[in-house]
Amino acid sequence: MILRSLECRFLTIALCDAAEPWQLGSQDAATPMMQGIIDLHHDIFFFLILILVFVSRMLVRALWHFNEQTNPIPQRIVHGTTIEIIRTIFPSVIPLFIAIPSFALLYSMDGVLVDPAITIKAIGHQWRASTQPYEYSDYNSSDEQSLTFDSYTIPEDDPELGQSRLLEVDNRVVVPAKTHLRMIVTPADVPHSWAVPSSGVKCDAVPGRSNLTSISVQREGVYYGQCSEICGTNHAFTPIVVEAVTLKDYADWVSNQLILQTN
Amino acid sequence: MSTTAHKVATQAAARTKTTGKRPPSVLREIVYGMSLGLFAGYLWKLHHWNNQRRTREFYSLLDQGKITVVADEPSPGAGD
Repeated sequence: MILRSLECRFLTIALCDAAEPWQLGSQDAATPMMQGIIDLHHDIFFFLILILVFVSRMLVRALWHFNEQTNPIPQRIVHGTTIEIIRTIFPSVIPLFIAIPSFALLYSMDGVLVDPAITIKAIGHQWRASTQPYEYSDYNSSDEQSLTFDSYTIPEDDPELGQSRLLEVDNRVVVPAKTHLRMIVTPADVPHSWAVPSSGVKCDAVPGRSNLTSISVQREGVYYGQCSEICGTNHAFTPIVVEAVTLKDYADWVSNQLILQTN
Repeated sequence: MSTTAHKVATQAAARTKTTGKRPPSVLREIVYGMSLGLFAGYLWKLHHWNNQRRTREFYSLLDQGKITVVADEPSPGAGD
């Protein structure tokens, strides 16, 4: 009962999909991939706590017992076969318990089990105007042009009330929730990295290469990220914003964008 | 004078000083340390399971439609 009341005091539920000041933990998961990453971190942290507490206690107790008044006669332990075997095998078993869930997550992240419904290409551009064009290749306007748009960062001195400083963009990447997406990430110039922490995505944009990642956002919301590979002077001012909406709203958005593009 | 009686008395006195004080047991310290470590790890696991339960409950309520993450937009022209 005491534990439960303690837990209630320390835990709060507030969806965190952007970086917060003095943040300690991860952002809230919006995809199964991110939830798996958080669970793996918790599994590994259990072993970290176990080792930290055990080693700290042994150190403190060794210093405590090193006292001429209370323990004048030192022990003459030279070796102990049993303890040496135990202290060799036990620490080698711990990485095994860490590796199993780690590899399970790694291979599940790579495997594409469901055919993605939508393909979005994110093309990293160096910061001539902090652009990060997106291309929805599945949709073409009447003149056979793919749906493309630029995504400029909102300048620091021009945000609206409620907007996050240096995280907002003028055109967000709109995606349908609960839909499998294929993201193709490539740059036009120097290396970049398309990262959205709450989706558990960090995909490097390497010149001459198209990297592929799959995401499936489980809830509607706005998710913020930033370029995660040094790309020049304005590397820190290249935000990424993904807006997950219902399927109906997404269809409306696509048709509006195609109309705007045609006009 | 170093008589036999004197030697026996000295040894008895020396023994008396340390009588009743057992040296620290390495095995006992290891057991206590592991127990403490496992208990601390158990507390962390409680936090993890609680987090998982709350996440499951959140998505369950979201799927049932009892809660929403979409904020109500003000009607157009309301702020004009």
